[in-house]
Amino acid sequence: MTVRRPSLRWRVAAALGLGSFLVTSLLAVATWNLASDYMLRQRLQATTRQAEVNLRLVEAAVRTESDGLTELLTGLTTDPDSTIMLFRSGEVLTSGRQVDPGVVPDDLLSLARSGVPARQRLHADGIPVLVVAQPLTTTRGLYVELFPLVQLDRTFRFLSGLLIAGTVLSGLIGMALGSWASRRALRPLSQLTVAASRIAGGDLKARLPDQADPDLAPLATTFNSTADALEQRVLRDARFAGDVSHELRSPLTTMVNAAAVLRRRQAELPGTAGKALGLLTSEVDRFARMVVDLMEISRADQDGDLDAFEPLDVGGLVHGVAGIRLGEDVEIVVDPPSPLVLGDRRRLDRVVGNLIENAECHAGGAVRLAVLRHEGNVRLEVDDAGPGVPGEMRVQVFERFTRGSRAGSRGTGAGSGLGLALVAEHVRRHDGKVWVEDRPGGGARFVVEIPEAAS
Amino acid sequence: MDFSVLLVDDDERIRQALGLALADEGFAVEEAVSGEDALRRLGTDLFDVVLLDLMLPGVDGLQVCRTLRDQGDLPIIIVTARTDTPDVIAGLEAGADDYVTKPLVASELAARIRALLRRRGGPAQNVSHRIEDLEIWPDEGVVHRGGEEIRLTRTEFRLLAELAAAGGKIVTREQLLHRVWGYDYYGDTRLLHVHIRRLRTKIEHNADDPVFVLTVRGSGYKIGPPR
Repeated sequence: MTVRRPSLRWRVAAALGLGSFLVTSLLAVATWNLASDYMLRQRLQATTRQAEVNLRLVEAAVRTESDGLTELLTGLTTDPDSTIMLFRSGEVLTSGRQVDPGVVPDDLLSLARSGVPARQRLHADGIPVLVVAQPLTTTRGLYVELFPLVQLDRTFRFLSGLLIAGTVLSGLIGMALGSWASRRALRPLSQLTVAASRIAGGDLKARLPDQADPDLAPLATTFNSTADALEQRVLRDARFAGDVSHELRSPLTTMVNAAAVLRRRQAELPGTAGKALGLLTSEVDRFARMVVDLMEISRADQDGDLDAFEPLDVGGLVHGVAGIRLGEDVEIVVDPPSPLVLGDRRRLDRVVGNLIENAECHAGGAVRLAVLRHEGNVRLEVDDAGPGVPGEMRVQVFERFTRGSRAGSRGTGAGSGLGLALVAEHVRRHDGKVWVEDRPGGGARFVVEIPEAAS
Repeated sequence: MDFSVLLVDDDERIRQALGLALADEGFAVEEAVSGEDALRRLGTDLFDVVLLDLMLPGVDGLQVCRTLRDQGDLPIIIVTARTDTPDVIAGLEAGADDYVTKPLVASELAARIRALLRRRGGPAQNVSHRIEDLEIWPDEGVVHRGGEEIRLTRTEFRLLAELAAAGGKIVTREQLLHRVWGYDYYGDTRLLHVHIRRLRTKIEHNADDPVFVLTVRGSGYKIGPPR
């Protein structure tokens, strides 16, 4: 199994998106660390100061054994979420938000008891708090205050959300930018593709527009000069073929007419001379046909006179050709209403005529003609009841000078060897396809498909 | 005796061979070697049809064709080397009635000439046709518009008469090519297009907006409705 490589455009977009994602996430992590660290430190300093001040007040109150200790503690908890705990000889005095003293970790308490102020962040009853534990200096006991960190936590959450969203967004923007930039960068390539496929399709006039960009100008120039050379060459070859057959026309005109005069008098030449004359005149005719067909093919290679295209009734065309080429007994099927194609009548006449003639030469004549609609195309079928075309010959028969070695082909008076090649040329010119297949029930079926024109 | 043909070609062998073959078909063939020669002979003798090679030394075939058309409606068949070149259209525009392509065979050529010279095709046409101010008199071979005679060549007139005889029904391109030019089926529609265009410039008030000879897309032509 082959894994299809994603297109260049997608690869560029993905690379740019990933790169931008990585850079922004690095920046985001750094920002997060600095900002959160700073804010936390600020908060810690503030709380530590606050705790020290409170501790001093409490110590003073404890020292004087004042009765107002509870009131003082209540007064100290200005924030509704903060909690003050006083651990003194086995009892715990709590004020502010009611929190189970058990949430304060033991090792924090023992650290404070050993004389070192300690602090720790933890969750108490669902909210994040900073616990500051300090030993009382005058009496044995611990002053513990829980500062709520809800505000800070909210800020942290907002900041992290912002950073994550920013990172993802920058990745997406990078991807979009990559896609857009690569499409822009590849636009000359798509123009190149279009031009190249137009040339491949036979339009030798296709060129790339001049590029202002110094990176692209050489490509356009090279492509255009290649196309120029190709066009020149094709035109020269076609002109040569055209000139050759053109030059042959004059002697040929003399020959066919002299042959006609001779044929009329063949009876006057008995025996060997008469036989030789018969050979000569029939070969002259065949030669003439060959030149005419060759000329038509070289012209088909060459010109592009699309202005001869007009809407044509295919059914009428087939009936017309069949009317003069075929007997009454040949079945002609036409899908009603008879479909139209946009085409050159002379060429399509030749297509139908040559297919009929081919059946005559190689398969004892056509037995059925059909004009059908098929998936947006007009389909012409010419059936014969001959030996059929073997699989390995099915492409070859449409090449020039492929002479059928099929049984049943006439030894003399056979075609020019260009009949089916001309059919293929003309059908190609109409953006159509031609092929040969087996006819159900034996014989060959030549099929031509040409896009249907709107009626 | 059949018709007399003036064969204009600069290739002597072609003239000889075609001359012999056409004579076999029953035509009286005279030869001209150049455009000047052809015009000189046409000035003195009468011919039924001119067979004109377009590639001539000196005065070329197109020029001869235009000159002859200016002088009258002598039927002209041009001989071209290639069917696809603008030559064919140019020749037809210059006034030729028909064209044949080399290598031309005398028997086919004879059929073309006979079709061209047939006096009048189609059904009995002893009735005149009238479309607005256009009057067609098939028997006399004349056309009047607004009381004035319009000069048409024989081919143009037959084209118009065929359309008029159909009385507003569609006449297909194939039928016209068959009835006017005698083509069995393989007719070149360019031949028809050029003649229709020329006919229109002569009889229509505005050739771009025809009212007498109407195109029926995809099939053929018809004559405009009488009023």
